[in-house]
Amino acid sequence: MTEKSYWKSLAERDDRGELEASEFAEPLEPAGAGTDRRTFLRAAGFTIGAAALAGCRQSSVEKAIPYLLTPEGIVPGRAYWMASTCAGCEAACGVLVKCRDGRPIKLEGNPGHPVSRGGLCAVGQASVLEPYDSMRLKAPRGGGRESTWEKVDREIGMKLNEIRDGKGRVRILTTTRSGRATRGVIERFLAGFANGELVVYDPVSCSAILAAHEITHGRRLLPRYRFDRADTVVGLDADFLGTWISPVEYTNAYTSRRRLAGTDGTMSWHAQFEARMTITGGKADNRFVTHPDDVPLVLEGIAERLGLREPSRRRPPVRIRQADIDLVASKLDSARGRALLVCGTNDLTAQLLANEINHHLGSYGATIDISRPSRQKEGSEEGLERLVGEIREGSVDALFVAGCNPAYDLPGSARLSADLRTIPLLVSLSSHIDETAGLAQYVCPEPHFLETWSDHEPVSGVLAVGQPAISPLGSTRSAIESFAVWSGDPRNGLEIIRDELAVAMGTDPAGAWHETLAAGYREADPAETATTWRGAGSLARRPDDPAETSLSLVVYPSVGMLDGRHAHNPWLHELPDPVTKVTWGNCASFSPATAARLGIEEGRVVTISAGEAAAELPAHIQPGQHDGVVAVAAGYGRLGTERFALTGPEWLFRRRLQPDGSPVGVRMGEFQVSNAGSANWVAGGIRVSKTGRMEPIAMTQSHHSLSVPAHLDTTGGRRRPIIQETSFAAWKENPGAGEPESHHIDADLWAPHPYEGHRWGMAIDLSACTGCSGCVIACQAENNVPVVGKDEVLRQREMHWLRIDRYYAEGEDGGVDMVHQPMLCAHCENAPCESVCPVVATVHSEEGLNQQVYNRCVGTRYCANNCPYKTRRFNWFDYPREDRLQNLVLNPDVAVRSRGVMEKCSMCVQRIELGKMEAKRIGANVADGEIATACEQSCPARAIVFGDLNDPGSRVAKAAADPRYYVVLGELNVRPAVGYLRVVRNRKEDEHQEETHV
Amino acid sequence: MSELMALRPVLVGGEKAAGDVTSDVAAPTERKATWKWWAAFIPAAAMLAVGALATGYQVMTGIGTWGLNRTIGWAFDITNFVFWVGIGHAGTLISAVLFLFRQKWRTSVNRSAEAMTLFAVMCAGIFPLIHMGRPWLAFWVLPYPNTRGSLWVNFRSPLLWDVFAISVYFAVSAIFWYVGLVPDLATLRDRASGLRRRVLGFLSLGWNGSIRTWSRYEIVYLLLAGLATPLVLSVHSIVSFDFATSVIPGWHTTIFPPYFVAGAIFSGMAMVLCLMLIARTVMGLEHYFTLRHIDAMCKLILATSGMVGFAYLTEIFTAFYSGNPYEQFAFVNRALGPMGWAYWVMVSCNVLIPQVFWFPAARRNLLLVFTVTIFVNVGMWFERFVIIVSSLHRDYLPSSWSSYAPTLIEIATLVGSFGLFFSLFLIFCRFLPMIAMAEIKGVLKVGREGGLHG
Repeated sequence: MTEKSYWKSLAERDDRGELEASEFAEPLEPAGAGTDRRTFLRAAGFTIGAAALAGCRQSSVEKAIPYLLTPEGIVPGRAYWMASTCAGCEAACGVLVKCRDGRPIKLEGNPGHPVSRGGLCAVGQASVLEPYDSMRLKAPRGGGRESTWEKVDREIGMKLNEIRDGKGRVRILTTTRSGRATRGVIERFLAGFANGELVVYDPVSCSAILAAHEITHGRRLLPRYRFDRADTVVGLDADFLGTWISPVEYTNAYTSRRRLAGTDGTMSWHAQFEARMTITGGKADNRFVTHPDDVPLVLEGIAERLGLREPSRRRPPVRIRQADIDLVASKLDSARGRALLVCGTNDLTAQLLANEINHHLGSYGATIDISRPSRQKEGSEEGLERLVGEIREGSVDALFVAGCNPAYDLPGSARLSADLRTIPLLVSLSSHIDETAGLAQYVCPEPHFLETWSDHEPVSGVLAVGQPAISPLGSTRSAIESFAVWSGDPRNGLEIIRDELAVAMGTDPAGAWHETLAAGYREADPAETATTWRGAGSLARRPDDPAETSLSLVVYPSVGMLDGRHAHNPWLHELPDPVTKVTWGNCASFSPATAARLGIEEGRVVTISAGEAAAELPAHIQPGQHDGVVAVAAGYGRLGTERFALTGPEWLFRRRLQPDGSPVGVRMGEFQVSNAGSANWVAGGIRVSKTGRMEPIAMTQSHHSLSVPAHLDTTGGRRRPIIQETSFAAWKENPGAGEPESHHIDADLWAPHPYEGHRWGMAIDLSACTGCSGCVIACQAENNVPVVGKDEVLRQREMHWLRIDRYYAEGEDGGVDMVHQPMLCAHCENAPCESVCPVVATVHSEEGLNQQVYNRCVGTRYCANNCPYKTRRFNWFDYPREDRLQNLVLNPDVAVRSRGVMEKCSMCVQRIELGKMEAKRIGANVADGEIATACEQSCPARAIVFGDLNDPGSRVAKAAADPRYYVVLGELNVRPAVGYLRVVRNRKEDEHQEETHV
Repeated sequence: MSELMALRPVLVGGEKAAGDVTSDVAAPTERKATWKWWAAFIPAAAMLAVGALATGYQVMTGIGTWGLNRTIGWAFDITNFVFWVGIGHAGTLISAVLFLFRQKWRTSVNRSAEAMTLFAVMCAGIFPLIHMGRPWLAFWVLPYPNTRGSLWVNFRSPLLWDVFAISVYFAVSAIFWYVGLVPDLATLRDRASGLRRRVLGFLSLGWNGSIRTWSRYEIVYLLLAGLATPLVLSVHSIVSFDFATSVIPGWHTTIFPPYFVAGAIFSGMAMVLCLMLIARTVMGLEHYFTLRHIDAMCKLILATSGMVGFAYLTEIFTAFYSGNPYEQFAFVNRALGPMGWAYWVMVSCNVLIPQVFWFPAARRNLLLVFTVTIFVNVGMWFERFVIIVSSLHRDYLPSSWSSYAPTLIEIATLVGSFGLFFSLFLIFCRFLPMIAMAEIKGVLKVGREGGLHG
C-alpha cells in the first residue's frame, strides 16, 4: 500500500514540486544581498559628502566649566542675598541685594536698617536695572576717545603734578557724599595741594536748613526729623513722603503714628501747606493750597500766634487765611514736645522762623534730632557760586566732577559749559557721556553702586557700607579708588573702606567688619558734638512781602526722575507720576482755574519763559494746585535720553513721539534762581503763551475720570464706593464708620472653595499708603514686566501688574483730597476671568490664587474684558528688550511672556512656592511674614500685608477682621482675596464720614 | 377664480414656463462671465486681498496692530463677528422657518439666502480666529483627546459654546443648502457635457429624478428644515451669552438672547434684501424676485426693527429700574458719553429709518428700500459696536476708563470680510444656480389659473 498523500489544493496535488519551491512567498534571502559596486559607490559618495559638509560648519568652542571651588554660599540656581546700601539718592537706604548666578536681580529694603527700616522707594527698586545699561561707559576716556586707566592716570598725574608745583587750584565738585571713608580719601587727595577744596552741592538743595542751623545752633547741620515721634506734623512745601531728603525713612516714621490697627488708637494730625499737589499733601488731614512765596508769611503768622513775634501790623496777605494759621498754630501749641514743623522752602528767613517755632515747641531733642543729625544733604550754594566765579575768571586749574552734572543742573548752562571747557584739567567721573562729561578732557567712569565698594553715613553714627554684588561690567573705577590713585596711594575700595572705618570697628576689627557686611551698616559714635540753641539773633527778620506776580513756576523733583540722575532708566520713565500719572516726559501743570483763565486745554503746548529761560511743554490740568503756580517736573531733557525715542514694539503705525535727537522731556535747569545764596526752584513772574501745537501726554490714568461726569450721573452725585473714607473722630466712635450702604448677598448657588491648606490674601491699608509707587517698580523688577514705551502708554497698554489708582475728592473748604489705591489682581474666589476662558488658561489654585497659565493661553482677552478691576495685562506685541544687556536683570524664577498671552499679578507665586519649600525643608509650617510679596516687601509705609487668611493669627487675617476692612465691588460677589482698609483722616468733622470717592 | 387670484398673488412674474425657468437660472452658470460680473468681482477680490494682507500682518506682528487697549479687549473683531453671524441668520430663517410655515414665496430667494448664510458664517468665523493672541493655537478650543494630561476645554466658557454653536450652525446650514442644491445640480448636469457633466454628475450625487428620489429628497429636506429651525434661535442666543454671562455693566443682562435673535433676523433680512436687489438688477431676475418678495421682506424688517427698538427701551428701563448705579451709568454713558454718537447712529438706523416701511409706497420704491437696507446694516454693525465697546470703555473703576479708535489694520480686516463675502457670493452666482429651480417650478402657477392651492 502506497503512502496516502494529503493535499491542500488541486494545484498542490497536480504539481507538487513547484509549490514546494514557492512555499515562502518571497525568498528569505533578499535578492542581491551582496552589495554591488554601484551601490557601494553611491553609499560611499553620500557618506563622504555628508561628512565633508558637516565638517564645514564652523561651530564656536563652548566652554561649560563648573566651579572648581564653589564660592561660599553660592548654589547655582538659588538666590543669595547681600546687604548693601542704595546710592539711588543721598538718602542711602539699606538694601538687600538678591543675586542669582553672580548677578544682582532685585533690590529689597533691609528690614534691620536703622534709617530706612525695610522699605525702598521706586528709584531704589529701579536702580537694579542700571548696571545693565549698555550705554554706560565701559572704559575711561581721554581726549574724546576711549583710553586705558594707565594712560589716563599717567596724564592726569602729570597735570596734577604741574598744578601741585604751581600751587594751582584743585576743586572737586560732588553732590553730597556722606561716607566717612569717601570723605577721608577726598580730603587726603585735596591735602596734597596747596589750594584744594571740596565743593558740595545738591541739585535739589536744602542748604537753607543747614545755614539756618549754623545760625541757631552754631553748627551747619541737617537735623534728623523724627516723624515717628510727632503727634502733630506741619509741612510747608516739603514733600517729605515723596522726594524730600529721606522719603523712605520719613514715610515709615510718619505712618507709624497713623496706623490705627493694633495701636492704642491715636493718630497724628498732619497739615500741609503746598502749592502743587504732592503725595504728602494727599495724605494730609488738612491741606492748605499756598503759594510758595507765601510760606515765610505762613511761618511768621504761626510764630505770631505762638507769641514768638509781635503781631504784625501788616495786613495779612489775601492769599492766606488767618483761620488756617490759627488752627495750625493752636494744634502745634497743644502738642508741645510732640510737634514737628518741617519747611522745604530753600530760604534762610523761612528756615530761621521754622527753627524758632520748633525750638519754641520743644521739638529739638524730641521730634528733631540734632545730636545725631542727618547727613543726607550737605550741599552749599555759596561754595558752588564761589566755584562758578572761579571757573568764570579762569582761576581753577583742575576740576573733578563726581556724581553730579553741573552743566545740566545749573542755570546758565551755555555759559557755564563754555567756561568749563577752559579749565586746564576737567575730569568727569560720570558713568555716561552726560552734559558735563562731554566737556571734560578725561572721563573716568564710576561703576554702578552694585558693582563696587562704597560707604555712606545717612545719619550721623550710622555707617552704611555698600558692597559689590557683581564684578564691574566695564573697566570702571570708583571715585574713592580713583582719588586714591591720584593721591599716589592706589588701594582698592574694600581696603580703603575697611581701613578708614577701622576706628569705628572697636576691638575686634575683623569680626566687626564681618558683622557690618552682614548687616549692611554699623552704628558708631556720631562725629559731631552736641550743640545748643543760640537763637536766630539779629538775623531773625520779617519775611519780605511776596512780589506781586501773575504766575510763578515751581520746578519739582518727580518721584521717578528726582533731579535727572536716573534719566537712563526706562522703568522710571514709564513709572506713572503718583499725582499726575504722567509717564515719559514732563509737562506744565496748571490749576483748572488758571487753565480756564488762560484758555489752555490738556495737551496744548505752552511756552513758559522767565528772563532768558524758555521751555515748551504740553499743558496738564492738575486739581489741587495753586492758581498762581505752574508746576513742572525737573530731571528731564537729559542728554542721552534720545535713546528712548523708539522704545517699544516696532510696527507699521508706531508713532515716533520724540523728534529726532531730542531727549525725553524738557530741561528746566535754566529756571533755577538764586535767592540770597540759596538755589530756589520757584521762579516768579513767568510768562506763559500758548502755541498752536498739541502734544499728547502719556498718562496711565486719564484725568477725565475724576468722577462720573455730571451729565451722565443718575445717582444724584453719589460716588462709587471704591475708595471708602472716614474721619478719625467717627472711627473712634465706630471702627466700622464710613461703610456705605452695602448689598447683602443671600445665597450662593455653588458651594464655596474648600481651601483646606493655605489661603493667600492681601490687605492694603489705604490710610497708610502714600502712593509712592515703590511697589510698582518692585513688582516690575520681580516679575519681569516689560517696558512698552511712550506710544504704547498713549495707547493705554502699559503692562504694570500693580498700578496705583489716584482719585480726587472734594476736601474741606472746597479743597481737593487725593487718595491712592494700589490695584492688582484681586485673586477673586468667584473669579469672573476663570469661568470665561475657553481653554482653561486661568485657573483657581487650592490656595486661593488665581493662576494664569501662559503656555495654555491663546489670547482671547475675554478674561480681561470680564475683570471688574481691569488688572489683566495683554502682550500686544513681543516687547523688545532692546538693551540686550538689560535682560540680565530678568528674574529666572518668572517666565518672560511671549506675545499674544495674558498676564497679571500672580501674588509672587514664585516666592510663595519658595517659602513653602523652605518651610517643608525645615519641617515647619510657613510662619506669617515669612513669605513677602515684592510689593509688600518694598512698601516703606508697611501698608501692604500679605499672608494666609486661613491662619487666624496672621496679620492679613487680622486685617481682614478689622472693621475698616472692605473689598472693592463687593456687591459683585466675586469675593476678592485682596481687600483694603478704609482711609481715615484726622478730622473731627463728621461731614466726611460717608464720603466716598470717584 | 378671480377671488383666488386676489388671495394668492403670483409668485413668479412674466408667465414663465418650467423650461424658461431652467434656461433663465442655468444661463449665468453656462455662459462666460459678463463684464458686469467682472466689474463686481474685481473690487470684491481687491477688498479681500486688502483684508488678507492686513490680517497676515496682524498675525505676524501681534494684536497690538489693532486699536485695543488694557480696558477694551474687544472692539472691531467681535463686533464684526457678531455682525456677520447676525447676517447669517436670514438664510436659515428664510429656508427653514418659512419652509415649515409653507411660505411659498420663499422659493425664489431661499437658495441665495442660504448661500449668503454660509458665506456670512465663514466671514464671522474668521474673527474669533484672528482675534486670538496666538491664532496658531486656535485648535485648543476644540475638545479633542490630547497628550497634555488630557487637558480639556472649559465647558463653562461662553466662548466655547460659541465654538459649538457656530460650527453646528455652519455644518447644518451647509448640508441643508447642499441637499437643496442636488436636484438643480442634476438639472445642470443634464444640460452639460464633457468634464462639466462629470463634475456636476459627481456633485449631484447620482440624482435620477425618480419618484422615490424625490420623495426621499422631500423628507430629508423637511427633516433638515426642522433641525435648522432651532438653530436660528440658538446661535445668536449663544453668541449673546458671551456678553450676558459676564459681569460688565451693559453686558450683564438677561434680555440679550431674544434681543440678539431679533437683531440678527433684522440685519439678515436687510442684507438678503440688499443683495437680492442688486442680483435682481445685475442678473436680470426681476421675474423671480418680485415686488411681492420685496414687500414681504420689508414687512419683516419693519417687524424686527420694532423688536429691536423695544429691546433698546427695555434695556434702558431695566437699568433705571434695577437701581444699580453702574448699570444706570452704562446706559446713560452709552447714549450721552463720548461714544454717544455711535449709539445715536444705531438708534436712527435701526429704529427710526425702517419706520418708512409702514407705507406701502415706500416698500415698492426699490431705491428707497435699497437705501434703508444699507442703513439697517450700518445700524446693526453699530449696535454690536455700541454693546461691546461703549460698555467696556467705562466700567467699574474710573481709573481704567479708556477710549478706542480703530487702526487702519482693523478697518482693513472689516473691509476684507466684506471682500470675502462678496467674492464668495459672486463665485456662487457664477457657478451655481442662484434660484432653486426645482422648487420654483412648483410655484410657477401660484396665483394663476390652475395653480396650486398650497
